[in-house]
Amino acid sequence: MEINLTPLATLSQIKETPSRRDGIPADLEDDLRAYGAKMIQQAGILLKQKQVAMATAQVLFQRFWYTSSMEKYGIAEIGMGALYLASKLEECPLRMRDVINVYDLLIQQAKHLKSHDISTFHYEPMSYFSQTFYDMKDALIVAEMQLLKRLGFYVDVSLPYGTLVNYLRVLNLLDDGKACQMAWGYLNDALQTPVYAIYPIPVIVCASIFLVIRHLQLPLPSERESELRWWELFDASYDDVWLVCGLIMRLYRPRSQADQLRPSQLLTKKDVRRWLHDHK
Amino acid sequence: MRLGATLPSTTTKVNMDIEPGSSIPRKRVNSTSTADAEERQAKRLRVTGESNSKERSNATKQQKGPEITKGILTRAAHPPIQTSRSVYTYERLNQIEEGSYGVVFRAKDKQTGDIVALKRLKLDEEKYGFPITALREIHSLMQCRHENVVRIREVVVGDTLTQVFIVMDFIEHDLKTLLSLMPNPFLQSEIKTLTLQLLRAVAHCHSHWILHRDLKTSNLLMNNRGIIKVADFGLARRFGDPVEILLGVETYSTPIDIWSVGCIFGELILHEPVFQAKNELEMIGMIFRLLGPPTVEEWPEYESLPLVKTLNMPAPHAPTLRQKFSYLTSSGLNLMASLLAYDPERRISAEEALKHLYFQESPLPKHPDLFPSFPSLAAGEKRRKPFASPSAPERAKAKEEYDYV
Repeated sequence: MEINLTPLATLSQIKETPSRRDGIPADLEDDLRAYGAKMIQQAGILLKQKQVAMATAQVLFQRFWYTSSMEKYGIAEIGMGALYLASKLEECPLRMRDVINVYDLLIQQAKHLKSHDISTFHYEPMSYFSQTFYDMKDALIVAEMQLLKRLGFYVDVSLPYGTLVNYLRVLNLLDDGKACQMAWGYLNDALQTPVYAIYPIPVIVCASIFLVIRHLQLPLPSERESELRWWELFDASYDDVWLVCGLIMRLYRPRSQADQLRPSQLLTKKDVRRWLHDHK
Repeated sequence: MRLGATLPSTTTKVNMDIEPGSSIPRKRVNSTSTADAEERQAKRLRVTGESNSKERSNATKQQKGPEITKGILTRAAHPPIQTSRSVYTYERLNQIEEGSYGVVFRAKDKQTGDIVALKRLKLDEEKYGFPITALREIHSLMQCRHENVVRIREVVVGDTLTQVFIVMDFIEHDLKTLLSLMPNPFLQSEIKTLTLQLLRAVAHCHSHWILHRDLKTSNLLMNNRGIIKVADFGLARRFGDPVEILLGVETYSTPIDIWSVGCIFGELILHEPVFQAKNELEMIGMIFRLLGPPTVEEWPEYESLPLVKTLNMPAPHAPTLRQKFSYLTSSGLNLMASLLAYDPERRISAEEALKHLYFQESPLPKHPDLFPSFPSLAAGEKRRKPFASPSAPERAKAKEEYDYV
């Protein structure tokens, strides 16, 4: 039986992403990836979309930046396209107008947060035939097409949840509700990092369990060289697991207010170009 | 949030010594090699066909990688993330057909010289972005890689965003055209081989949770070495013949494809469609005539189906399969009846049908290599004129003149 494997970024793509080549610093790219992915999740929740579609959208979004630069495509439009496309792929299509309205809300909110507090935010819905709607609709169609084109139409995504349940069962952790919930949460948070585009699912799942057992101080065979260490059971190597853990934990590092605000002000390619111009 | 142990801040230290797609070429494990060319093709099988990049050429050089079982978790086994290539890497040869969903061309890969089929998707009037039907087709073809499913090589794009082409292996014939052009009907042994291949493809798709929903002879391609390939996934909606859909069932599953296999099996034997009808009502009439009107024993849910009340039921009678397929053995008839069972729950599965007695009795399925070959209409070939042979001696006409007695 032929096994279908999902595409992963090559080493050269990881070493120098297209955005990096266009002068966007690595930390800014990471921030924008995380913010764009978070927007997809937020939009999905507002639309009551299924988690599988939101997760698929975020994986496609992460892959996209290994073939394309943030100087040429904005994270808001590509995120919007990814959510719309993933909803079709997961057979739970969304209405274009709904996606556009929700993204409009999120974009307005981000703009408002630049100088104000969230409590004073008031959403101005667009009118049914407004030009904004048609502009965003065109952007959505183009973004969906670009995603397909720049991923070579290979939009197969495997999600980690089933694997997680399996591994937890093997490790006898399935009855530990807290551990399960936490591992599940790490997997979802990992969608904001590029890991799904650079590592196979088992490695990422092992990393989420690894973080959980550290956090909850659960004993699993992992110390002595002579013993079989538990991640080896799932063919994951220590280095890979450790690296994925690091990428996930980076999301939670303490940030300054300005640092946190930065990606929300760079939602379009124009914003990014302006930023590049200002920071030459 | 704090961890029990501290983790290093891994920002850029990415230590991955293995490249995706660099050491193990994607390899089809189940290809029962029929011919050398087929075998070579299987080895070259990858997600998106050839490419210029160095990473790719490495993969082609190393033909034999380690078995996938261990490699599945390493990055090396995974294909890289790649953008679509341009349609201009192919040279257009001739148009094969024009369907409701787009045009199909025969084309040549400028680099490798491979002959392929390019299917242009119709995207001009799309209100809802990229059509979900086309997404389903591309996705199913990529998921269902199998010897008897047409191989998708890649998806290429033209200059504008509305030009999208699916690149597939070029296959010489479609079964519908072939059936209408071939001088002699298929032999029993050949029908068995073809039906087996079809069942294998269907079983494979079903094991990947994919329904074809539109199996018919025009969607079955056949090459000149006796191999058939299922094509046209997911583009057509349920258009169909399966009896439960005609009677208004709303949820359906794998049995709908099996019904279609039954119809194709019949068509191979009869050399014409089993049920040829102008409308759905006439179709239902024909089905009832061939199989006998359904009874509650055969199909318990039958009476509660939405559209049944609207029908005038004919008087109950026995199936007329035997009369229709007078030269089929009794196990062949049994297979036919199992494929065309009324109750979807009781209809045979593709997996079970593969083990049916019909395929084990004489005449045994013919080896695909022994199949006759035919001129390919799609490649613009024509049947050669029969050799000019001398006409019968004139004398024969003048027979009356002589008395031989």
